[in-house]
Amino acid sequence: MYRLLLLVLPIVIVVIGVDAHVRRARRDRDRPAIAAVCKRLPSGDLALSGGARWLRTPSLEEPGAAFQDGIAVPDPDPAGGAMAPPVGAWGTR
Amino acid sequence: MGNALTSILSFAIGSLWRRRSRAFALGIGLALTVTLVAAVLFLTEALRGEAERSQVALPDVVVQRLVAGRPTAVKLDDAKALEGIDSVASVRPRVWGYVFLPALQGNVTIVGVDKGVASLDASALEKGRDLELGKHEMVAGAPLARALGLVAGDSLGLPSPKPTPPLVLVGTFGSAVDLYAADVILCDEADARAILGLPADEATDLAIDVKNPEEARVVAGTVLERLPGTRVVEKHILERVYTLAYGRRAGLIFAACIPALIALVVLALDRASGLSPVEKREIAILKAVGFSIRDVLWTKMLESLVVASLATAAGLFMAYAWVFWLGAPGLRGALVGWSVLYPETPLTPAVDFAQLLGIAAATVGPFVGLSVLPAWRAAILEPMDAMRG
Repeated sequence: MYRLLLLVLPIVIVVIGVDAHVRRARRDRDRPAIAAVCKRLPSGDLALSGGARWLRTPSLEEPGAAFQDGIAVPDPDPAGGAMAPPVGAWGTR
Repeated sequence: MGNALTSILSFAIGSLWRRRSRAFALGIGLALTVTLVAAVLFLTEALRGEAERSQVALPDVVVQRLVAGRPTAVKLDDAKALEGIDSVASVRPRVWGYVFLPALQGNVTIVGVDKGVASLDASALEKGRDLELGKHEMVAGAPLARALGLVAGDSLGLPSPKPTPPLVLVGTFGSAVDLYAADVILCDEADARAILGLPADEATDLAIDVKNPEEARVVAGTVLERLPGTRVVEKHILERVYTLAYGRRAGLIFAACIPALIALVVLALDRASGLSPVEKREIAILKAVGFSIRDVLWTKMLESLVVASLATAAGLFMAYAWVFWLGAPGLRGALVGWSVLYPETPLTPAVDFAQLLGIAAATVGPFVGLSVLPAWRAAILEPMDAMRG
């Protein structure tokens, strides 16, 4: 009886793993439809972002993006983040 | 051995029950931390998985023209300059862009369809049919059509630099492609040009398909030689963008969770720093009644194992249910994006057994390991010394 307590974690891992596998297999049946539509779209970027900067296709536009998503809103993809200013710029004069 | 283990396990659970308040507090803290960390990982992996599903349809190379560091329209003559490159199978000028709809207070993506593109079949469409070129028709994302209150047969006039005929909705994309096309309006290329204000001799960018994908880098170099001032985006770079974009967002969420993680570390250090006087006395009594050092260590390890494995199981289960059954309320907005037209499609899990086992091992292993040292210190004391404190 008590040994069953130690089996809870393996059982949960198996249940999650099997459910994930089944859902992936079901989703894979949509691949032809996804390919057909994405062939017409400018990129395969997900339609998830918006706002002032509108990074609808971050893969094609990120290097030029220059605005926050909103006023005083934390910026999840800071523009120019790929290249930081030189360390010396933070020094006191 | 089996009976001995069962006896020690039943004793360990009895011991946990006697200190149930502490065990529950520890277990709940651990479970909530595992939930948060696992949910962020599940969501990030699911998004990467969805982005990868579309990779097969992407062109090998995309060419954009930059002016003042920003992408701008390319000339159609540029396409002709690239057609002669060895290994290039086709150069397709593409017409697409964004239009702000005041009614939605958000942008929609206008994509022009040229002749020669294969038509969409029923699997890609939820309702209606594919558009016919030259008839001012459109196919739109289902969330967009719903947000605008459009059904098949309705017309939509879009803001444009010069008057354009309204587009008739003839079909909506199926829910299977909502994640990619929720905000998309697909229309004739001529209509797209009129709406976006793009002259007939220009395109938004050029999509290049290469005969041998291994040569994409060479082709990209040749494009830069022939068209200085352009930006060339290779397919493998796009894959990297997804990894970086979602990885960075996940990192920010983890950074916000640092207080919770620190709290867990403090709990773990509390376990590592030593046992309470009550626990020491309990170990001394166990030794006095005949428990060996090994039996004591097994007891303490099993106590920790029960707490850690139950908490990890609860954490993994809650994270999975939160992300894939409930749609990650609260977390989705922070990690996924801020689109006005949000795709409602549930995400598909990309997590596999190896990742699940990794999370479990990273949680249970240190937790159990940290319980052994203080138990061993107490177990090597003489029972009388331990009871006197």
